[in-house]
Amino acid sequence: MKAFSSFLGKEFQESLRTYRALIMIAAFVALGVLSPLLAKMVPDLLNGTDMGGGAILRVPAATALDSWGQFFKNISQLGVLVLVIVDCGITGTELARGTLTNFLAKGLSRSTVIWAKFVAASVVWTLCYVLALLVTWGYTWYFWGNGPLPHAFLAFACLWVFGEFLIALLILGGIIQANIYGALLAAAAVIIVLNLVNIAPQAAKYNPITLAGGTVNLLSGQNSPGDYLPALWICLAAIVAVMAAALAVFDRKQL
Amino acid sequence: MTDQLRSYLPIIIPLAIIEVGLMVAALIHIFSHKKYRFGNRWVWVVISVLFNLIGPILYFAVGRGETQDDE
Repeated sequence: MKAFSSFLGKEFQESLRTYRALIMIAAFVALGVLSPLLAKMVPDLLNGTDMGGGAILRVPAATALDSWGQFFKNISQLGVLVLVIVDCGITGTELARGTLTNFLAKGLSRSTVIWAKFVAASVVWTLCYVLALLVTWGYTWYFWGNGPLPHAFLAFACLWVFGEFLIALLILGGIIQANIYGALLAAAAVIIVLNLVNIAPQAAKYNPITLAGGTVNLLSGQNSPGDYLPALWICLAAIVAVMAAALAVFDRKQL
Repeated sequence: MTDQLRSYLPIIIPLAIIEVGLMVAALIHIFSHKKYRFGNRWVWVVISVLFNLIGPILYFAVGRGETQDDE
């Protein structure tokens, strides 16, 4: 346990020293501000546009739900992109540089390394996600007032779980290839495959990608929790499976 | 129109501070270092200035050289 906490401390120091934590925080706060801004701007920009033939575009004024819709869209696209860019070197960089060999030679277990990296990245992701959420919450309340948000916890938790899934994938990819490209490839490949699977409408309910972005329909009451729970369970199981694979691969890895 | 513009201020100012702050931080780092993981100084200056938010993030995440050997 002591080995775990000291390696975790080293991970946190490193994410501060390499600016990773700061970039994530700045980016997610910016996304949190951007979401209500876009929601507010779109009707102002589009209203009164001449569509040709005398038709004039009328867009209803923005509501709190538009702001949350933008939040889910921005975080699930730009936010996830930032997460992947920032964390793509999570395991690969140290493997490529060979700096882990020292720790392991001194008796640090390999599973401790993996779990400490997972926990460190998860803490930063959780912090950033909650910050973005609070900022959007504050602005949405300021501009429109927050009405009832049904199943808010589940809606927000879904996207968070998807982020955790990506972190696990980045760890596994980085271990397999021992560089940042392995991690990028693993995350990109899985996102592409999941998007392809989503073409089949029956699969959407079980597809983890549904958790990224689709959950605004929970807040609007259009969908019920039952539409997301299967995907949520599958995603949680996938996180466990990916982490198990990462541990197994890392145990057999020649350093 | 000015009223409408004013209603945007509480939201635009913090956003601008974050974006400009990140850009300035990236530029300071770029000009105080000689080596980058790839690309050269002017490539990173252009990327950081032209692409709000994503440019500085890209620089810090993948373009920044190793801190120890050029500080």
